[in-house]
Amino acid sequence: MALSKIGLIDPTAITGETALAAEPATTDELLVSDAGTLKRLDAVHMMNRPAFHVYLSGDQAIGTGAATKIAWDSEYIDSGGVFASNKFTVPSDGAGTYVFNWIIKMGGMDDGEAVQVFLYKGGSELDSQRTRTKITAGGGDQEVHVAGSYIDTAAATNYYELYVHQNEGGNQNVMQETSTFSGYRLIGA
Amino acid sequence: MASLYWKVKTYLEANGKTETEIGLDGNVKLRNDGAGEYIHTWNVDGLAKPSDSQLTSADTQATKDYNNNRTRKTRKAAYGSIGDQLDLLYKDMLADKGDKTGEWFKKIKAVKDANAKE
Repeated sequence: MALSKIGLIDPTAITGETALAAEPATTDELLVSDAGTLKRLDAVHMMNRPAFHVYLSGDQAIGTGAATKIAWDSEYIDSGGVFASNKFTVPSDGAGTYVFNWIIKMGGMDDGEAVQVFLYKGGSELDSQRTRTKITAGGGDQEVHVAGSYIDTAAATNYYELYVHQNEGGNQNVMQETSTFSGYRLIGA
Repeated sequence: MASLYWKVKTYLEANGKTETEIGLDGNVKLRNDGAGEYIHTWNVDGLAKPSDSQLTSADTQATKDYNNNRTRKTRKAAYGSIGDQLDLLYKDMLADKGDKTGEWFKKIKAVKDANAKE
């Protein structure tokens, strides 16, 4: 009675006999009971999308003493085409909770010199007390890895960028071989 | 041409301030959004933000400071660790060469001579 009431589903056809045996497409539909009302739900709403994972095609020189935006120009993952112009932009239907991760590798740092990485939201540093990640070199000519993670509640069209700062005195490179920036929507948070 | 950091440092020092004004949480914040470095924030007490021409004028001294900074770093790497230097000094003392005839002095002098400051 309840199923036929919505007029879209034939209960006798719901057998589960055929396995999908693969990740559902974003537009595949699931049946859910929404407070007792049966509804169809696109699978995309149960996926960690949008998601991105970007890297550099080559080293990026960073001048001393200036917070500098990292120009990510290559993508491992960009579901939904959300990463462009060095930034992740939340799509119009993508408001929600997002997890961000980054790792930056920089060489040539000497004793006492530091590399710091910051997450920017809408052109300004986001929650500096929690997003700033910093490594100070403990010897001469060292490679340092700065890794960080942050979870943020995002509205549609919010955008996120990664900045780096170093105080070596000259230019130093964010190194292509390790540095990456990634993020994905956290479902159910 | 020196980078913006060195030119701002020169400008500050020429006006009785220090480079400690520059920093992520300092009174002077430098930034590069992809189109080149610029002064994002300037809150130095009693000193106006430098004009482009003032920064250009600071370039000669800034370049010298930058080059000397490079020299200091080269020297520091060439001196070796403090532990190794102390060991060399100990051996000099043991050999009654705790003066300019000692190996430590010779090494340090050679490094300085090979990497002169401007």
